[in-house]
Amino acid sequence: MATPVDALSPPANREIPFFSQARTFADIWPEVAAHVHDVADRGKFSHGHKVAEFEQALARYTGARHAVAVNSGTDALVLLLRAAGLRPGQRVVVPAFSFVASASSVVLAGGRVVFADVEPDGYGIDPAEVARVARAGDFVMPVHLFCRLADLDGVLEVARERRLTVVEDSAEAIGLRHRGVHAGLHGAGGVLSFFPSKTLGALGDAGAVLTDDPDIAETVAALRHHGRFGRTLAHFPGIANPTAVSGVNSKMDDLQAAVLLAKLTRLDTDIARRAELAAAYGERLRDVPGVLRLPATGPAERVFYVYLVEVDCRDALVAHLAAHGVGTETYYPIPLPRQPCFADLGHVPGDFPVAEAVCRRSLALPLYPDLSVGEVDRVCGLIRAFFTGSSS
Amino acid sequence: VTVPFFPPDLFEADRQHLLDLVREVGLDPAQRFILGARTAEFERLLGQSLGGREVVACGSGTSALTLVLHAMGVAAGDEVVVPAFGCAPLAASVVNLGATPVFADIDPDTLTVAPDEVERAITPRTRVLMPAHIFSIMADVPRLRRIADEHGVRLLEDSAVAQGAVLDGVPAGCWGDAGVFSFVQVKSFGMPGEGGAVVTRDPALAARVRMLRNHGQDGRHRFLHHHIGYNSRFDELLAAFQIHRLPTLPQRLERRAAIAEAYTARFRGLPGVQPPPPGRNGRCHYVYSLLVERRDALRDHLAERGIGSHAYYPRPLPAQPAFAPFAAPDGRWPNAERACTRSLAIPIHPNLTDEQVHRVADAVVEFASANAPARSGRLAEPVPVPGG
Repeated sequence: MATPVDALSPPANREIPFFSQARTFADIWPEVAAHVHDVADRGKFSHGHKVAEFEQALARYTGARHAVAVNSGTDALVLLLRAAGLRPGQRVVVPAFSFVASASSVVLAGGRVVFADVEPDGYGIDPAEVARVARAGDFVMPVHLFCRLADLDGVLEVARERRLTVVEDSAEAIGLRHRGVHAGLHGAGGVLSFFPSKTLGALGDAGAVLTDDPDIAETVAALRHHGRFGRTLAHFPGIANPTAVSGVNSKMDDLQAAVLLAKLTRLDTDIARRAELAAAYGERLRDVPGVLRLPATGPAERVFYVYLVEVDCRDALVAHLAAHGVGTETYYPIPLPRQPCFADLGHVPGDFPVAEAVCRRSLALPLYPDLSVGEVDRVCGLIRAFFTGSSS
Repeated sequence: VTVPFFPPDLFEADRQHLLDLVREVGLDPAQRFILGARTAEFERLLGQSLGGREVVACGSGTSALTLVLHAMGVAAGDEVVVPAFGCAPLAASVVNLGATPVFADIDPDTLTVAPDEVERAITPRTRVLMPAHIFSIMADVPRLRRIADEHGVRLLEDSAVAQGAVLDGVPAGCWGDAGVFSFVQVKSFGMPGEGGAVVTRDPALAARVRMLRNHGQDGRHRFLHHHIGYNSRFDELLAAFQIHRLPTLPQRLERRAAIAEAYTARFRGLPGVQPPPPGRNGRCHYVYSLLVERRDALRDHLAERGIGSHAYYPRPLPAQPAFAPFAAPDGRWPNAERACTRSLAIPIHPNLTDEQVHRVADAVVEFASANAPARSGRLAEPVPVPGG
């Protein structure tokens, strides 16, 4: 016998999901519908005209000379590494704290993962640690997490000294620029993920490679379409083009491109809204005991994809919030070197102290344009109540 | 073009439904867009329609091959026997795992891999046999099944083009230790986007594939990665669309089969034009492929009449630049080379009208009757394969 829903969630305790774009989607529905009709009129539903249109719009937005649409941010990393010339067994220095794709993409591209610890403020790969572990000729993959860029100046300096190839995992970093240059364009290339909860999110999996290098762009474009060079985008007969490299199928769906085009027109507004919500969180959580670290604020070089805080008693707080209908995410509970899939590297606790500490304390709170400041109030009140026993 | 080879209006009857689904999924309170309840339901329904198989939906048919090979443990040093004639993923899925594709020549009439050639290609390093159903004809999977069992290797059936086909009562995809489907729009169960599926009766293999498709996670512990995995997932929007269309799949398959029968009835005995064998056992109708002595002339003849056609696979897989380094130096694939110069696919999609079908058939018959008799007793010169 099910418990009546009202008994669990009276109106005042309405659920606050970790993510929703339903209100935004209702707003942009007329544009989405027009793009979907256009896709249906043209009759090609993947790797078609709408994808080509989105690639052009994305290149304009980011300033990249080439934006190559693929099926996911993970695929984008794998194909970018291959196109940037990663040789079998070649080493890639990646941060110990990130989503798994930052490291698994290296393995899938045939490379060897070398982990480096991150910086405590901002969670980017620590240039000093890169300098410690990198050998001449390695690749290095800075990852831009949550709301800001990794220390690109620091990484690029080490890269120059050691002749490292820089590939950016900028999957989360749309809208972030360093010295006026968009994330992903500071080395050989970068990626974007359009996973639905991303700052620019699709209704399914989608991703892209960003690069200014025409050869890398051409190779990625071939790899995503079974290694076929020449024209394939929006061009069925391209399936007869010769297979010059051993590729994959990583084509973007035109229906996803349709949603992304509609959302791209309001991306800057969404980013501004995310900043307002982040500021609201900051004001309300600044003096809460038990909240150990807030994201650094300030107008420059912040795009709040995720509002991540570090807290005491993280798992108990997660349970407390969940019990009150507030969704959270734990980005990320286990340092990458301690994941079972990297057990063969033989790392032990203590190898990556900063990453290990963050993994125990980090918590992502709801942050998306659909969210209201009132909902931020409620989340913060619950956090305060958890740590102080009072909600005021 | 009045009879396009690639139909632009495959989903026209379902356009409004597609729009409704985009809206429904976008506004769904669950806000779950990937590998959610709709995908699980689609997997269940498809598995049920195949007599109780496990189905694991994933990003594409190509990716499905990769996931299965990876789940079977194929890695550097291993060999996988693949056809010398077919689509790039047959070789690329093996190469991308660091393993070696061993190319076996095909049967000259069915264009599917020749079992004797497969058996000859088996070595102590062979882990998997990977035949593919091609165009209109299923591979000789009963014999390949026996060969795989005799040699203690696994059989992965590339059934990406053959969903709905049945051989000796067993559906395509269900002969191997695993099979794969592709749902890209032109396939027999095509949809408006990229996706595929793994089919198997082996629960351990299915469980492994499920983990590999989503970053090595077990589906219970988020951000715990047991294995190096992929991002090869299924979108809820497309699962909803496939659930909607599954009940009408038999009608579309029947329409394809009826068109094929109409073609074959007209083409039997034509000089210089060889249709697939008649009947339905082991026939698939993804594309309808002819073997034509003067293939390019027929293609031009059809084009002049506004009829689209397509010559798949202009060169054998071992002659593709990406895979040539893996081809045995003394390897010979004469039947694959001949297929590359002779095979031509003509329109067979289910939206064709009877009038269009007759027009295509008339044009082929006209070509054969006008050209072949004058050349009877003399085969056209084989066209050299560029770079072959």
